Amino acid sequence: MNRRIAVLVFPGTNSEDETVRVLRDCGGDAELVWWSQAQQLAQYDAYVLAGGFAHEDRIRAGAIAAHDPMMDAVIEGAAAGKPILGVCNGAQILLEAGLVPGTGAVGRPTAAFTKNLPAPHFVCRHVTMRLAIRPSRCAITAALEPGALIPAWAAHAEGRLAAPPEALAEVVAGDHVAFVYAHPDGRVDDHAVPNGSALRCAGLVNLAGNVLAIMPHPERDAWNFNHLEHSDRGDVLSPSGGARLFRSFVEAVSSA
Amino acid sequence: MNPTGRLVEILLKIPDNTAYTALVALRRLGVDVSRVERGVLRFFDEEEPVEELIVRIQSDETIFNPNVHRLRLRDGAAPDSGEVWIESLDETVPAVAWRLFDSRERPLSEPALRAAAERLLCNPSIDKAIVGSTGT
Repeated sequence: MNRRIAVLVFPGTNSEDETVRVLRDCGGDAELVWWSQAQQLAQYDAYVLAGGFAHEDRIRAGAIAAHDPMMDAVIEGAAAGKPILGVCNGAQILLEAGLVPGTGAVGRPTAAFTKNLPAPHFVCRHVTMRLAIRPSRCAITAALEPGALIPAWAAHAEGRLAAPPEALAEVVAGDHVAFVYAHPDGRVDDHAVPNGSALRCAGLVNLAGNVLAIMPHPERDAWNFNHLEHSDRGDVLSPSGGARLFRSFVEAVSSA
Repeated sequence: MNPTGRLVEILLKIPDNTAYTALVALRRLGVDVSRVERGVLRFFDEEEPVEELIVRIQSDETIFNPNVHRLRLRDGAAPDSGEVWIESLDETVPAVAWRLFDSRERPLSEPALRAAAERLLCNPSIDKAIVGSTGT
């Protein structure tokens, strides 16, 4: 029997359909699970928290959703080693829930994806994420090559990793920065960072390596029709597109 | 926060969905609260007369919409009893004053406010919570 992936839909999630589609196109058995179906979540083998504005970003991005009843199953799943991926608002939720970087207690965040800098405005920009850890450090990236470059779209107003210096030191020491922003050729410098993120961080992984939170949207650069490098149109996955990360996720789900 | 400036709180005069959402979430998190109020705090350095300051704020559409907002001049630069202020550590967003009340419309105690801040209202990696002292 296929292992099943739940794509969580909170009130305000808006990227669930393309997230399900890219997972299915990568071979995953993915389906939507709505907030009214939280009791069903325990049956699934993996979870994806899609992008959007859950609960309208009230109080802080991800703050309310992090305490939604749906997160009970996600927190239990994280402890059980199930692969969990958060994209954009999903990443913010995972940070607010304390699941990543996971250097404190669950429910007690030790970092945040917060207001962009230098200007606290919404950013919509094509970016490249560079894998900054050994692929095997994170189950979800294990099928990627070292230093893999994943194209994606940054689309957020609150994507800057922020934390006190001692917390950032823990993030570095624990090898929690899974992805950094890079230029398309792989060079890493501050010009590639769209939001002032500390450590040039685009994604964080927990200590166990089964929970990954990324701010940019790789599903928005996954098929030929939305992949920048392809001039031909078509709804097949682009070999160099963001679907590579989802394919690696699906492999992690299959082998978990 | 500028402790010497003039403090103005901007509140909604229409139903505050964020406050209601916070109320529901806080109850789920075990905080015994029956009503939540919220206002955005802004400090102004100017020593201009109060009347002129009010007119100036009310004509600044980036922070004040007369159809949905009302403002309140505050005395002092500290939260009242039953109130917790959430301030951004890097001052990228204005501070927010939260007022929490129990079922008898009494302000919540200091420990209950601390619990509310710790469990929901404050992310200590980017915010600090200043809790009003009980009995002040």
